[in-house]
Order: sequence, then C-alpha cells, then structure tokens
Amino acid sequence: MKLIKSIIRPHKVDDVKDALGLLNISGITVSEVRGHGKQKGHTAVYRGKEYDVTLLPKMEIEVVVPDAIVEEAIKAVVEAARTGEIGDGRVFVLPVEQTYRIRTGERDGM
Amino acid sequence: MPDSQGPLPSAASGHSAASSIFAPARRELCDEIARGHAGRTALARYTERFDVLVRQLFAAAPPPRQPVAVVAVGGYGRRQLCLYSDIDLLVLFGGRIAEAEERFLRGLLHPLWDLGLVVGHHVRDIEDFERLDVDNPEFLLALVDARPIDGSLALFEWFAAAFHTPAAHAHVVDALATLVDGRHARFNSTLYQLEPDVKDAPGALRDVMAARTIAALTDPALLWQGPEDPARLDEAEDFLLRIRSVLHLDAQRNHNVLTHALQERVADLLGYPGPRPQERVERLMGDYFRHARIVTRSLAWARRAAPVPVGANLGRTRDGIRFIDVRQAAVQPATWVGAFQAAIDANCAVSDDALACIRQHAGRFTIDDFLPTSAHRAALVRFLKPRAGLYARLSEMHDCGLLVCLFPPLKHITSRVVRDFYHKYTVDEHTLLAIRTVERLAVRAPGDRERFVSLLQDLDAPELLVLSLLLHDVGKGSGGDHAMESARMSRGTLVQVGLEPGAQELVEFLIANHLVMSQIAFRRDTEDPEIVRQFASLIAVEQRLKLMCLMTVADIDAIGPDTLTPWRAELLWRLYIDTYNHLTLGYGDDLIEGNPSGISELIANRPRDVPGAEIARFLEGLPRRYLQLFDPEAIYRHVRLSRDIHPDELHLALGQKRSAWEMTVVTLDKPFLFSNICGVLSSFGMDILRGHAMTNPNGLVLDVFQFTDRERFLELNGDAREQIFRLLEEVVSGRTSVTERLRGREQSLVHRRPARVVPVVHCDNDSSKRFTILDITADDAFGLLYRISRTISQHGCDVDLVLIATEGHKAIDVFHITKAGAKLSEPEHVALATHLQRTLEGSHEVDQEHHPAAQG
Repeated sequence: MKLIKSIIRPHKVDDVKDALGLLNISGITVSEVRGHGKQKGHTAVYRGKEYDVTLLPKMEIEVVVPDAIVEEAIKAVVEAARTGEIGDGRVFVLPVEQTYRIRTGERDGM
Repeated sequence: MPDSQGPLPSAASGHSAASSIFAPARRELCDEIARGHAGRTALARYTERFDVLVRQLFAAAPPPRQPVAVVAVGGYGRRQLCLYSDIDLLVLFGGRIAEAEERFLRGLLHPLWDLGLVVGHHVRDIEDFERLDVDNPEFLLALVDARPIDGSLALFEWFAAAFHTPAAHAHVVDALATLVDGRHARFNSTLYQLEPDVKDAPGALRDVMAARTIAALTDPALLWQGPEDPARLDEAEDFLLRIRSVLHLDAQRNHNVLTHALQERVADLLGYPGPRPQERVERLMGDYFRHARIVTRSLAWARRAAPVPVGANLGRTRDGIRFIDVRQAAVQPATWVGAFQAAIDANCAVSDDALACIRQHAGRFTIDDFLPTSAHRAALVRFLKPRAGLYARLSEMHDCGLLVCLFPPLKHITSRVVRDFYHKYTVDEHTLLAIRTVERLAVRAPGDRERFVSLLQDLDAPELLVLSLLLHDVGKGSGGDHAMESARMSRGTLVQVGLEPGAQELVEFLIANHLVMSQIAFRRDTEDPEIVRQFASLIAVEQRLKLMCLMTVADIDAIGPDTLTPWRAELLWRLYIDTYNHLTLGYGDDLIEGNPSGISELIANRPRDVPGAEIARFLEGLPRRYLQLFDPEAIYRHVRLSRDIHPDELHLALGQKRSAWEMTVVTLDKPFLFSNICGVLSSFGMDILRGHAMTNPNGLVLDVFQFTDRERFLELNGDAREQIFRLLEEVVSGRTSVTERLRGREQSLVHRRPARVVPVVHCDNDSSKRFTILDITADDAFGLLYRISRTISQHGCDVDLVLIATEGHKAIDVFHITKAGAKLSEPEHVALATHLQRTLEGSHEVDQEHHPAAQG
C-alpha cells in the first residue's frame, strides 16, 4: 500500500477527485494548505503596500492505494492537476505499513 | 389669550391698575395663610389673580414692533406663587430686540418692581431657541412649566415646539438629576432634618417638582406606575405649600426654613391639636416626615423608572427602547423603525413590550403605512448602515414580523431549511449572520479579517452592502438559479424602499452575482490573467469589487462557524488584489471607441434636450469604465455641462450626495488644472474623499470630486457656491493664485497633526500601455491632492486620469500621467517619485508658484 500525497492548485481538486474516481479510488482526504515549492510566490503591491504572497494557498489530497494501482493513480493525479505553468504542485508517494478501521478495529488488507 | 395689540392705557394708569389688583389678591392670600389653608388651591387662585395683573400691565405697556409673548415659567408657570415667591417671567420676542421692545419691557416690568416684587425675568428673541442653551440648566428646567399669559400664541407655540424635543427633554432630565444630587448633598442627603427647608431639602417642594418634571418629560403615566399613589404626592405638596406660605407670611420675605422657633406657630396655624406646644410640634413634624418620605419615594421611582427620551414617543429604559404611549404606537407603524434606530444609537435592545406591540399589530399594515414618505424610506436604508448592534436589532425586527413587512421577499426564506453538506442554519438566519459578519468588520475584526475592514471603510454606501445581503438568498428554494431569482424577487422591494436607479442597479447586480467571486476564487485558476481580466470586466469599478468581495466574505462566513477558513480568506483576498490592480492600473488603456453596446442604450433612452450625436462625441475617448462609474442621468448631466465650453471656462455643478458633497467640473485641459481645482476646494476647508478625473483626446476634462465640508462653509454661507465657483474660475484662468490662500491653512494644519500613515509612492511603468501610473498612499492630510498634483505638474507631466479614494485616515490616489504624450522615462519617474516622497514626508515644500513650462 502506498500513501499518495498530492499538493495541487485549489481549482484542480474536482478534476483530481474525478480522475481518482475513475480508478475506483473513493477514500480521499482533502486539506487546505499553504506553502511554496520552486514557485516561491511573488510580491504584489496593493495600495502602496507590498503584499507578501510567498506562501501560496494549495490543496493537499491524500489517498491510500494498493501497490498494484499506484502508478495509475499517480498518472491520474498528475494529468488532472497539470496546467503546464509553474506552481502546478507535487506528488509524494509514501509506503504504508498497516491500516485499521476505527469503528471495528479491523485490520485492513486493501 | 388677548391680542397683543389692545388698547394702551398710560403707564401711570397701568401702575394704579396693578395696585388695585395686587393688593386685594395679597390680602386674600394672607387670610388663607392665617387659616392654614394656603396650599395648592389657594396659591393657584392667587396665581390667576396675578395673571390678570400681568395682562393689565401688558395692555398698558408701549407696544413692541416685534410680536411678543409673555410666558409664566418656573413656580409661576406651575401656578404655585407664594406670598414672596420670585415672579419668573419669560418675555419672548419674534425678532431682534430694539428700542420699541425695550420700552415695552420697561412698561411691563417697572410696575412689578414698583410693587416690591422680585421679578426673575428672561428676555429672549426667537433665534435664541434655535439651539438649546445647555449651559443654563435652571433656565431650561423653568421652561418645562412654561405657560402663556399674554401676547402672541403662535410665538409661544413655536417656542414650545422648539423646546419640546426628545433631545431637549433628555438633556433637561439629565441636568435635573445633577441639580437634585447637588441640592441633596447640601443636606447630607437625608430628609430627616430637624429644621427642614420646605423648598430645597430632600423630600421637599423641589423634589415634588422634580418627580413631576421627570414624568412630564419622559412618560406622563410614570407616577401612576410607582410605589406611591399620585394623590398622596398631591397631598404632600399641598402640606408643604401650606407650611411655606406660613413661613413667608411670618418672615415677610422668601424664607423657607421651618426653624424650631417657627414650628410651633406653623403647628398652631395648621390646626394641630394637643394641650402642649411640644405635642403639637411633634405631630406637625411627624406629618412633615411622612409627606417627605412619600415625595422621596416618588422621586426615586421617577428617576429609576423614567425612560430617557430618545425620539417621538420613544424612551430608553432598563428594558431597552420602549414606546411611551403604546396605544399611539400601535396605530403609527411609520414610527416603528425609529425604535430600532434608537436602540442602535443607544446601544440597547428594543423592549419586550414594544416588540409585543409590533408583533400584535404588524399584520394590519401595508408597506406604504411603514414607509409613507421618502424620509421614512431614506431612514430605513440608513438604518442598514453596518455598525454595532445591527444584527441584534435586525433579529428583533425579524422576530416580531416587522422585517418581513418591510422586505416582503424575506417571507420566502423565513425558517426555510436547505439541506446540503455545508449550511448549518436556516436561510433567514444565514442571511442575518452574514450581516453580523459585516457588522463585526465595521467594529474592526481582529486577525485575518482585518484586511477586509479597510474595504468596508472605503465604501461609499455600506448600507447597500447590508441591503444586498438581506435579499441575496430570498430566491432560495424556488428552484433554478437562486441568485438570479433573488435579484428578480428583490426588484420591487428596492423600488419600495426608495433606492435611486443607480443604487437599485448596484444592489441587483450584487445579488445576482453573489456567488461569482467565490466560484472564481476557489474553482478557477486565478493565476491566469485572463480569468482575472474576465472577472474585472464583470465588476468594472472598484466600489463594486469591494462590495462583491465583502459580500462574498460575509456570505461564506455565515454558512457555518468554520467555513471561512484563513485559507479561503487568502484566496479571496488574492483575487481581490489582482482584480483591483487590473481595474486601477489598466483602465486608461480601455477607451470608449466607436459605438459600444452601452452607448446605444444611452442614446436610445436619452432625454429630448440631449442629441445622440452629442452623447457620442462627449464619450469618445473617455475610459470605458466611465460608463460603469456613472448612471445615465449623471452622464446626461455631464453632456449638458460640456456644451459650449471655451478655454478658461469652467462648467460646474455642485450638490449633496448622501453625507458628502459632489462637485462636477467640465473644462478644457490646461497646465496645473487638476492641482488648482484641488487647491481651491482645500482653501475652503473641503476634505476630498474620493473622485475621478478623466481627460478625452480632445482635451475635455471631466473631474468629479466628493468631499466633506467639516467647517460647514456651504451650509452657513448663503453665497458659498458662488464664492467657490468664482474662485475656481479666477484660479483656473490664472487671475488669482490659490497658493497664498492655502499657505495659512497648510502652516496651521500640516504641523498640527502627526502623520499616521507612512507615505508610499509606487511608480508603475508596465501595467498600462499608454501611461506611467503613480500609486500614492499617504496620510489623509489637508491639501494632499493639491500638493501631489502640483508636484506632478512641476515635473512637466500631464495628469490624464486620477482615482481618488480615502480609507479611514489613509488617502489612496492613483494618477495616470504622461509627459509630452508618452510614458515617463526611468530617470524622469525616479526624479518625480523622489520629489513626491519628499513632499509627502514634509521635507520638501511645494514651490510657491508654478513653473510656466509645466503642463498638467
């Protein structure tokens, strides 16, 4: 199992969600985050005051998928989240050792 | 009352007549006192005899030129003249007091003095009552009991109407409390005096008067609701007056202290039984303290329970704002909004009994009954101005049914449930909570929301934001696009509340598009300039953008407690800034050319006196945003102003727009024009809040300034407009220099107030194809625009477009400038920015006279 953690543009959430849905990946966690990668933001001027836009609002999407469809899932995220411009985001893939269902305490094999 | 122009006996005969009335009246009163009966009834009878005397003197006095009213005030007005009381008279003239009036006064007053009376006379002309004399509380208190004796009844009624206002009543009640406390302190604040002053001591006659005055000025039924039967207060007063009468007779002067020595005589005259004097005195004093306790309890109740007058038939109590006369309020629905306005002003609730009255009767009336005049409609819109307490008062209005009566579409969302994942409240409560968010911004929200506060402060009419929020979801549940449906359903209401067409269009726009900004901010790629351009194109002007941004913030925040996360607020703010910059920096490139759609409509709907070709000619080359900034009526006015304009001529219009003044100037461009106009306005003490300055390619200049007139120059001077217009023409034509006029003001004002905003001059040579843009933020100091624009002109620059805005103490001015028809080179704009920065920091004064070669 792998945890796929994607930092994407806010307006791409629905596209990514739909793309993952086509792979029958339904468990998904979405968080509002702020940060920067290479894009590093820029400085805007508003009414004479420099306005710091270094930490950009992004969305973080987390899904846990079986090893068999990891590559497919990553491809789906990347294609759905891409605009071709700087700031499209990143995808991180992390190993997952075990998962448990809290309601039943049952260990999930996926 | 007899007419003041009656027959005129001579002064001598007047004096003789006075004696013939006065002497028997006194004898009669002395007899009553000797029998111990000179209480309320006897004194009222004596007072009436005295009225006859005053009327005789009035008739005998030489007639004044001005209308006059002679008015009894104080104890005389209350019909409680004792044997040696001062005679409190108000002589009120209908105009300036001159020789004839003084002769009249001598004719009236000298005979009274000749009779040995102490006359407390107040002579006023009617203008004295245009403003309340707050520094003379005793006089104001005496006026409460004013009673016309003779002369012009119309004059008396004018005075009574001027005096009997809620504000005056509130002031008198306040002043009375201070006087009572001070007087009681002189007696160690106890009524149990062994030798009491029957006039001034706690529980004595002045306290009776105080209790009655408070009731008269606040709630005539007040004493009936208190711990003491008003009849017992009457008895106490009668008792005290009988004692006072004896004291006057015995001392042969205005003596009011019931000394040990006099107690025995008073007890005898008042007929107290007992074999020994000591017993009779003890009974007298026992009665005295019993009556004084009644008086004290009545006064304490009146002070505790009296509503503070806050409006017609409205008083503030511990329970909140209530109707003084509920039955009257029940049939006067037009006064109900006033109760909620008063509650906001007094920072309290509307009382439960007032709400119950409204709840019971609201269904009987139509919207025309609530808003019968344009003044009522304007008051309702003003009521919506965001400030502390608005949400609570609107909630009360909604709870008692008044809000739906005033805004009928709200009935479609009252307690309406919309089931979705996000919303936590019924639609009506969501609506009110959105208004609460705006209210919290108005009272300055902490943290992340603070940046939105500045937008609210800069709004021209924040009440329109609240009105838009109030109606933004009324179409919910109707199926389809609820935003469009809400706009459609609101249309009639916006007319009924008396919005002018431009404001109606704005509110409808906000309602119809209230979801757009959040959809773009959260679901579109806002880093794409095209997305921002499209949004800016929809919004068109900054005021709309600010309204839309605030509406979106409030709408999202009211969905649930955690919906407007800092992350979402950040996305909205970024979209706001990008759109704002697009609107303010790029508008000079987007000009009206040819015959765009907006122009066709303008021409089609034009009034008869404005030919279509004239409109097209006027608009050609102006920024396209001009069509969004001004409604058609304003545009037609501008076209008319632009007719037959010649060099050095100014065509001007000046009028009030909400709380500010608006001046429109149409002229032909010339050096230092903009700075000269700003300078003239400043020289009259005007504070320029916002405005727009535009130039078309033919050199036609249209400047619109909104300013406040803190010194009330326009209000106080009949020829103020002419003075301003004349000076503008003289300055613009070069016949007069405005610099001299400004110097004195600048010296005194610039140095008086420390700057609260660090000035920033931002020079942008990239955002516009045609212009160098100066974005200047500085302390909103006197003559700021004049100093900025003069400096720009001194650098030989043309001011083509200007956006003027004020946000609290901060002035934000965006100048689009060129030099010799082109953008400034880098050395040029660096030099200008440096000069401006120094000017704004106060380290470099603007040159006294303009450079002849400079343009602007």
